[in-house]
Amino acid sequence: MHSIVDAYSRFPKADCGYCGNPSCITALRRHCSGEMPLDQCIFFRTGALDPQSIRCPPATESSGVPGISYINPCPSDAHAVTVEVSLASGEHAKHGYYDMVTLDRILGGHVPSLKVSPSLGMARIELEGRSIMAFGEGRILIRRALDEEDALLQLSRAMRQLWAAVN
Amino acid sequence: MRLDLLVDLWGAYMLDVDAVRKDFPSLKEGRVYLDSAASSLTPDPVIRKMVDYYSDYRANVGRGIYGISRRATDEFEAAREKIAAFIGAGRDELILLRNSSEALNLIASGVQFRRGDSVVITIQEHHSNFVVWQRVKERLGIDLKIVKSDRQGIFNLSDFEDAIDGKTKLVSLAHISNVLGVKLPVKEVAKLAHDQGSLVAIDGAQSAPHTSVNVKDLGCDFFAFSGHKMCGPTGAGALFIRGDLQEHVEPLCVGGGTIEDVGIDYYRLRRGPYRYEAGTPAIAESIGLGAAVDYLRSIGMQNISEHEQALTRRMMERLPEVPGIILYGPPNASDRAGIFSFNIKGLNSHDVALALDSAAGIMVRSGHHCALPLMKDLLAAEGSVRASVYLYNTLSEVDLFADALTEIAKTMA
Repeated sequence: MHSIVDAYSRFPKADCGYCGNPSCITALRRHCSGEMPLDQCIFFRTGALDPQSIRCPPATESSGVPGISYINPCPSDAHAVTVEVSLASGEHAKHGYYDMVTLDRILGGHVPSLKVSPSLGMARIELEGRSIMAFGEGRILIRRALDEEDALLQLSRAMRQLWAAVN
Repeated sequence: MRLDLLVDLWGAYMLDVDAVRKDFPSLKEGRVYLDSAASSLTPDPVIRKMVDYYSDYRANVGRGIYGISRRATDEFEAAREKIAAFIGAGRDELILLRNSSEALNLIASGVQFRRGDSVVITIQEHHSNFVVWQRVKERLGIDLKIVKSDRQGIFNLSDFEDAIDGKTKLVSLAHISNVLGVKLPVKEVAKLAHDQGSLVAIDGAQSAPHTSVNVKDLGCDFFAFSGHKMCGPTGAGALFIRGDLQEHVEPLCVGGGTIEDVGIDYYRLRRGPYRYEAGTPAIAESIGLGAAVDYLRSIGMQNISEHEQALTRRMMERLPEVPGIILYGPPNASDRAGIFSFNIKGLNSHDVALALDSAAGIMVRSGHHCALPLMKDLLAAEGSVRASVYLYNTLSEVDLFADALTEIAKTMA
């Protein structure tokens, strides 16, 4: 699996700003979307780091159509509602919707109900029996909501937790 | 060189998995399909065969006298013959139905049960071979006996000996568990049952696609299987009913195609499989299932089994490495088919399946796999993740799966 984290581990992680980006993760994302040549970074330009070692992950697929759908994948959760939400629209196609590296930096290990996996590009929130999975491309899946109203309430709570990671 | 590597190389030589994969248009780049126990993918020759029916000789079967109707009938009957031969049955013993569930319902409704009879099943049955018998119990007052295995899925034959007696009318059991991947001792149980004068039904949904089956060798009276798990289309399955039993087993449905003669105050059913096939059958699907049999035979069932065994060995090497994994079923690769159920401590099975799909394009089943009694009684689990392999899966896919699971367990649990 070539993840953004693999590539990031080979970046300087100095957040020096000399390339014109506020952080190395932003620089990497711009590089992987073809907006920034690596030699704009002083570490790669001077040979301190090897540009050949940077392998960008394949672009994430996004439907580009925001929306909410109600699904029920298994009778084991027949009493509850599963809701899938797509938040991403065209403007997020290049960089994805959530930046899980940033989310991990800000909240990783500090919120007991939140697990962030930058390498997998996803986060998991356990909220009072509901399980919420958020994916880098902007998809959020809420399982075991009591009903549709409860699902939307959990969605708004989850979005607040994840707000800092929106690209 | 290690013996298992030699076997892997031999298996790879006998089954050219790269060539096989080219036959499956659904295997697009980035997709890793590990859910064949739920439904297999369909190869091009099967798809083409069904399209041929719709585009070249679309007509009903067994009815028209014109040319393309005769061709449709010939193709449909040729499919029946191939499917029958695939499991060692005679063509007149093979009833074309929708799937295993319909076949098991036919047995439950067609065998003449009476109050006081008993039916013996196992704790590992799919709902399709569980609920049908609970319903017969409710309706007719039969005694339903459930033989349990140990937690790894291994049965003790003496438990079958205790359950089967002179009142047992039927023993109905899976050939391979759809959750644990364990191979049930069907041949031994069939002998025990016949010694007590009982009939034997085998749910072959998880065996027929993966291994050579001969119903005569197994010694069963009924054998049910689904086409969509063996490279065929959805909506096509089959049931073997031993020829001399058929006049004692009532059809599930009657009507067009099932009768020899009808008058105002009588009807007489046909002999052979047609008595069970009311109405226009799934023509394209059955012809497609015949093509699936041709396809599997062209690869060779022995080669498919060996390939899956190589994948199973790799799975059983890699999965125990995943942190926090609880792996169900027998620990030895040789005791199991290519079905792997597990949980990761601290994670719900659906969350693991979602993470696999999102992170690596890996498709697996999650939940109770239509086997709630097994989940509740034996595994004490709410559900499990289930990965299953088939002829188009590769060792590198198994490695990717194990790597992705490890990452999920490390970062999400």
